[in-house]
Amino acid sequence: MRSAISFILDEKIVDLDFKNFKEFSPTSTVLNYLRSLPTHKGVKEGCAEGDCGACTVVLAELVDNKITYRAVDSCLIFLPMIHGKQLITVENLKTPEGKLHPVQQSMIELYGSQCGFCTPGIIMSMFALYKNNNKPTREQIDNALTGNLCRCTGYRPIVEAAEKSCVHNCVDHFSNNEPQIMKLLKSISKESIHIQTHNQRYFRPASLGEAISLKHQHPETIIIGGATDIALRVTKSHELLKEIIDLSGIEELKNIVATESSIIIGSGVSMDDIIPKVKKDFSALYEMLSVFGAKQIRNLATLGGNLGSASPIGDVIPVLMAYNASVVLESLNGRREIPLNDFIVGYRKTVRKSDELITSILIPKPTSGSIVKSYKVSKRKELDISTLSAGFRLELDKNKVKLITLAYGGMAEITKRATKTEQFLIGKDWKRNVVEEAIQYINKDFNPISDVRGSAEFRKIAAKNLLFKFYIEGRNVI
Amino acid sequence: METQIPHDSAIGHVTGEAIYIDDILVNEQLLIGKVVYSQYAHARIKSFDLSEAKKVNGVHVVLCYKDIPGHNQMGPVIKDEPVLAEQDITFIGQAMFLIAAETEEKCREAEKLIKVEYEPLDAILTLDEAIEKNSLLGPPREMKRGDVDIALKSSKHVLRGELRTGAQEHWYLETQTCLCVPGEGNEINVFSSTQHPTETQTLIAEVLGIKRNEVVVEVRRMGGGFGGKETQANHVACWTALLCNVTKRPVKIRLFRDDDMIMTGKRHRYLTKYEAGFDDEGLIDAVKLEFNSDGGAATDLSFAIMERTMLHADNSYYIPNMSVTALVWKTNLPPNTAMRGFGGPQGMASMETVIDRVARYLKKDPIEIRRKNFYGLNDRNITHYGQTVENNRLYIIYDQILKSADYEKRRKEISDFNTQNEFFKKGLALTPVKFGISFTTTFLNQAGALVNVYTDGTILVNHGGTEMGQGLNTKMQFIAAAEFGISIDRVKVNATNTSKVPNTSATAASSGSDMNGMAVKNAIDIIKERISKELAQLWNEKDVNHPSVPSSIIFKDNFIFDSDHPDRRISFANAMKQMNLRQVSLSSAGFYKTPTIGWDKIKGQGKPFFYYSFGMAASEVMIDILTGQYTLLRSDILQDVGDSINPEIDLGQIEGGFIQGVGWCTTEEIKWDTKGNLMTHSPDTYKIPTVQDIPKDFRVKLTEGVPNPVGTIRRSKAIGEPPFMLAISVWLAIKDAISAVGNHKIEPEFSLPATNETILLSIEKIKTFKVLKTLKV
Repeated sequence: MRSAISFILDEKIVDLDFKNFKEFSPTSTVLNYLRSLPTHKGVKEGCAEGDCGACTVVLAELVDNKITYRAVDSCLIFLPMIHGKQLITVENLKTPEGKLHPVQQSMIELYGSQCGFCTPGIIMSMFALYKNNNKPTREQIDNALTGNLCRCTGYRPIVEAAEKSCVHNCVDHFSNNEPQIMKLLKSISKESIHIQTHNQRYFRPASLGEAISLKHQHPETIIIGGATDIALRVTKSHELLKEIIDLSGIEELKNIVATESSIIIGSGVSMDDIIPKVKKDFSALYEMLSVFGAKQIRNLATLGGNLGSASPIGDVIPVLMAYNASVVLESLNGRREIPLNDFIVGYRKTVRKSDELITSILIPKPTSGSIVKSYKVSKRKELDISTLSAGFRLELDKNKVKLITLAYGGMAEITKRATKTEQFLIGKDWKRNVVEEAIQYINKDFNPISDVRGSAEFRKIAAKNLLFKFYIEGRNVI
Repeated sequence: METQIPHDSAIGHVTGEAIYIDDILVNEQLLIGKVVYSQYAHARIKSFDLSEAKKVNGVHVVLCYKDIPGHNQMGPVIKDEPVLAEQDITFIGQAMFLIAAETEEKCREAEKLIKVEYEPLDAILTLDEAIEKNSLLGPPREMKRGDVDIALKSSKHVLRGELRTGAQEHWYLETQTCLCVPGEGNEINVFSSTQHPTETQTLIAEVLGIKRNEVVVEVRRMGGGFGGKETQANHVACWTALLCNVTKRPVKIRLFRDDDMIMTGKRHRYLTKYEAGFDDEGLIDAVKLEFNSDGGAATDLSFAIMERTMLHADNSYYIPNMSVTALVWKTNLPPNTAMRGFGGPQGMASMETVIDRVARYLKKDPIEIRRKNFYGLNDRNITHYGQTVENNRLYIIYDQILKSADYEKRRKEISDFNTQNEFFKKGLALTPVKFGISFTTTFLNQAGALVNVYTDGTILVNHGGTEMGQGLNTKMQFIAAAEFGISIDRVKVNATNTSKVPNTSATAASSGSDMNGMAVKNAIDIIKERISKELAQLWNEKDVNHPSVPSSIIFKDNFIFDSDHPDRRISFANAMKQMNLRQVSLSSAGFYKTPTIGWDKIKGQGKPFFYYSFGMAASEVMIDILTGQYTLLRSDILQDVGDSINPEIDLGQIEGGFIQGVGWCTTEEIKWDTKGNLMTHSPDTYKIPTVQDIPKDFRVKLTEGVPNPVGTIRRSKAIGEPPFMLAISVWLAIKDAISAVGNHKIEPEFSLPATNETILLSIEKIKTFKVLKTLKV
């Protein structure tokens, strides 16, 4: 058991012991830590909520004995979360001889910076792209850069800089240095971390068993996976989080198991890691995850965290409901599987008992005859929380509706199925005039509110239209 | 000379080495400042108690208005903005108290202990309420030509309507920040992220009750400005200076993003009423406009902004009979302020709405109506305020873009697409921009510079403009190098500093390069004249029989030579050593004031603008009529930049301005609740464009081979603001797509921004209308 954390910065191991480290607490963010150093002022704070990307850094870690590079928002990461990883900032991109990295060079040549404040973050996102995609497609570039807001350039030169620079087979001076970094990474102990300061306790268990017993001992403790939601309580509301169990160090929660009939996704798998695994068999989930937050968020956020927070909008919850997914909960008393439909019971309330952890999500493969689709309506298509979202599923028997699931987010205090509409449709012909009649039942199912993301009227119309859209799009499939 | 010079800070930007105020290393004496602001939109402070807050360990001072040694005023033009509230609270976000403490945490702790007793009062939170309660911020203004009422009566067709355009948050990436370091006696050194260092200096002097020569304001760079740091950076600077003055320690205030969004003003929202009279062909004879803007709780620059609206209400069109009435309304919201376009966008969106409606009414393509009503080349070329539209490039640009954008063909394709698709509709629009260049407050059209040449042949340029990303310093660097005939790496542009170049105007109104470039050139001309004279003399001392004359001396390729005697040649660096030995001053101030302009504000007549900048854009969109979501498929832009000093930087201004305009027209929506709280106070709810919101096909071109005839610096043209308004093409393309839902038979209800909600609700109205019509039949 350790009370200190270790990570690599500037190619050296940094040990931080919170006991004799007064300036920072275990819930201090990586951003604030970096900015306190005279040598890492390049990382910028733009919003402190993971919506602008000015604070983007890259975390390198060992996965299957290889180093992976991921762009993340440093404003949302608590310091203990980078234990055992390499923290790479914009200051590290030049070669030891002082030569600029290809992404830096092309950003200069193509006038990719104007005021320059977003630039270090953009450079880091582009660096992660460089390390992961040789000759990336426009879609991959967009994907890598969506989480970086720039108010000056209009992005075109930035996209071109990515196109121009990411062409060297992902090789750069970091590649040469990998053996050395791997050695350092391996030298960092993987054991559990328990940090106790005068007013906080932070646990970072190394195994699931340990996490479950910790949860048993501290049932009211806050659980974090990627912390993208919980971190806001620190960065935006300046709350003191007294006790935290951080699951991000548990390898057992990071597995994805695909079977003949289903896929089981560990609750600690990042959203971005799920995407390629569901592309083939769960296209509606794939679509929804692709527009979930931005790369930097998806690299941190976990499915377990998303379900645990039970947001009423919860972009992915409706589509998981349509897939008839179940949540697997574990505690010292055993394991149980709850259909997602029954999991959420109120505004940000679930049936999870205080000593239970979400350990995985089980999604059965839809039967061959069924169609599943997901929809998201938001002011801005990318990097925006839905005004409303939906996950629909349909199975027909001789063009009569045999099974229908119409799950909506953003229409009530919880993500909810349109049961009256569903009932109306069951057994009926799946045709335009029937669907047009059915959508009138949406009004009976939901009484949405007006808020900052949209008026009740807009939500009602859009909710109806989505069902109709499902019909129109389904026509081509059936 | 090579014009492809990268941004002078580009290396600093990409390596993270460029220093912004929050990055300046300060010793451990630094205190963190925090502004405590009101939570009521309108209230009277009955009492307050700071004693508990002051007791917090680590808190150095907690200040209220009584602690201000000088004037409690920071309004830039009209003195109606207290630095710290006394009794009256007029908006949520108004500063009341200041805290300086050793850490941010201590500041927050102290803030919680401040007790305030308020008496809440009724607040005015919308334009409609302000109008209803006659809450004017100042007297209305009017500009007129002809008799619009008579003309409207005799017009064959008349259309009336209303347009609402929304507010816009600047969303500079670097929030408002200031660092003050105390000097000797009253001296104070201010590092401010301000577009207007002189005004920052002035206000700090007034607030602290000290002299202006005791305040030095320095601006290395801003992390974006867009107008948001023209007047409102002064606020943070005054607050920081107050804390620094009392504690005698360095103090920094950096606004947290949400606080920045809550406390600072935005682009003005407008309600415009219009009436237009025209004939069967769409030739417009009369337009009557009434602009109502939401000024917020204090004046700020609202009247200058409204003036620019009035001066751009014509956009590119000759309207024989025109009347423009303008009213600025007072509400209980943060004082609204300058933002790129400065009232121009609201004026142009209104006129473009008129044009679009006329076209739809007459069932003609809007471009036909536009071209018909363009200002003429030789006649129909006088604006409603009396300035002649000279060097009109509308027709050239129109002809070129029509071709390059393949307008006619695409119009046909879109029409076919819309016939074939029930659930997706496409729209296309081509809109022009004619933007007047100069501050309309004429005396502001002046700039200064200080150029130092050192004896190693390097140059340090100081000028009064500020760098906020627009590439001003890069252009100044180029100008200095070109004028001295030396390579660019010998020229460095200094941080803007009020002790180097005093009494400057804001870097605003797109005028930064025009004016400061000329001032830099003026300083260089003076130095070159001294050098030429001295060199001629030096050469003549050696050979009296073949005299060198100063006017023949040329500065080129890092050398200086006599064109009459090419053997008389000296390297620039050597020459500077010689000059120093021969006691020649190698430093000079430079100055410039814009010639030929003059504007009578009272009569609303004259020549407010040195010249006009022209541009056009054609945009195509597709909307999903079931969700209201839109995709920007293609935008073509052709912008007149004269002889560009740096084409890549100008391109960056065009694209960046355009995309910022697209944000204003589409996803950027500001909402307040019924108490006056800003609901969209972070990027979680306020949506500026991302990389995925730019046109799928984006083709931007600069006009070529058309130097600015009016004698600007190197015959270039201003570029900062005009492209913003090209985004109106996207907005009207969306309207065109909505209109297609009703086969262009029903005029869509439309406002700005066209969010997915606006689009969907407009479509819904068209659908309902269609159903009703079927029922009637």
